[in-house]
Amino acid sequence: MPSIHGSEVKQVIIACDAGMGSSVMVASTMRAKLAKYGVEVIHSPVDEIPVEASVVLCHAGLAARAQSTAPNAVVMPFQVFMGDPAFVKLEKAISDGETLES
Amino acid sequence: MSLPDAQVNKNREDTGIGAQVQRVGRFLSGMIMPNIGAFIAWGLITALFIPTGWVPNENLAELVGPMIVYLLPLLIGYTGGRMVHGQRGAVIGAIATVGVIVGAEVPMFLGAMLIGPLAAWVLKQVDTAIDGKVKPGFEMLIDNFTLGIIGAGIAILGKLTIGPVVSWFVDRAGNGVDFLVENGLLPLTSIFVEPAKVLFLNNAINHGVLSPLGVEQASNTGKSILFMVETNPGPGLGILLAFWLFGPRLVRATVPGAIVIHFFGGIHEIYFPYILMKPKMIIAAIAGGMTGLFVGVLMNNGLVAPPSPGSIFAYLTFTPPGGHIGMLLQVTLAAAVSFAVGAALLKFGRGEKAELTEEDVAAERAGAVS
Repeated sequence: MPSIHGSEVKQVIIACDAGMGSSVMVASTMRAKLAKYGVEVIHSPVDEIPVEASVVLCHAGLAARAQSTAPNAVVMPFQVFMGDPAFVKLEKAISDGETLES
Repeated sequence: MSLPDAQVNKNREDTGIGAQVQRVGRFLSGMIMPNIGAFIAWGLITALFIPTGWVPNENLAELVGPMIVYLLPLLIGYTGGRMVHGQRGAVIGAIATVGVIVGAEVPMFLGAMLIGPLAAWVLKQVDTAIDGKVKPGFEMLIDNFTLGIIGAGIAILGKLTIGPVVSWFVDRAGNGVDFLVENGLLPLTSIFVEPAKVLFLNNAINHGVLSPLGVEQASNTGKSILFMVETNPGPGLGILLAFWLFGPRLVRATVPGAIVIHFFGGIHEIYFPYILMKPKMIIAAIAGGMTGLFVGVLMNNGLVAPPSPGSIFAYLTFTPPGGHIGMLLQVTLAAAVSFAVGAALLKFGRGEKAELTEEDVAAERAGAVS
């Protein structure tokens, strides 16, 4: 089970099927939220997540593909594209230093 | 986190086949989607300057042919090759694509999607086989000549055999589409397309299958209704409106923002979670999609280029002159029907178990945290 401490998160990958639509939208909202912690947010097609990725956010329907592309990353699935608890959980883990798990 | 973990593992097993299907679809759509900007450039020039366009201009319309015959298939073959074998794969994919372009009489989108990755795969096998066996100093010579020789061979093969075969196949596929349209069967595709969309096969279906067939058709007739099968923003709009007025109280607040992103931004993914939350709502999506296609077939609607993303602005841009009333009816009636069906479904659900609905959503959202 990949896990990471919130204080070690330097980069978050937002993934969707094509890496052009919904991931870009979620990335721009997350970027605004995480910029103050010095965390970089980038978007990517789910099959092209970089191997060195540590934290990946993607829709639950794509989580299996994300995990197999990046087996060492903590994959955090979300259900809705706006106001999902996963977004809050990630920000909280980074700000309060909690541990995240796949 | 014991329970959510178990749930995630279960979900992963369940999506095993789904993930495979998504991957195949992603491979097909992945050749098209990075090149959509080029489709839009071609679509704008076509919509403006062809004889039936907004400002017919014979001189500028000369751009249309080379763009659809050479530029777009070459970009697809190049991208398909790159997906298999990086930059070398991209180059040989483009070389091979020229073979099928010249060997066929119709624009070779499907041919490019086939031969681009295939040529790259062949080169990859050869590169792997000779890896480490080349004498130092001869790497560049060998690299360039293996690519050149295999590329030339596959281009010839494409010209002589694959191009004509794919050409024949595209003709049959085109006839199949015509058959569906002429017999009024096209609306039935919604029964398959709408559920597949929500399972994140939207790009696979649209750009993997419908866009290439649509471009072939549009290059003959100036427009295609295949561009409107998956991309109609109407059904999603109706569903979101139904959720806004009749959905679980907890999610209603998020709906107006979702409507803007869906209908104007064209990111359809935003409404999928609402359907996944209440799966019976897929019936509303199917009803809306079928209505839209029924109106579209009836009014002989079509778009000149793939509207991507599926925003109302892309629809307005790529509707040919004189087609706007039909297009707006298609979108509006699709939205109205999916709203009506969706509203009825949500209301029935509440009548049965008014207390449970919000807890259901809360539970699902809790599950999402895992």
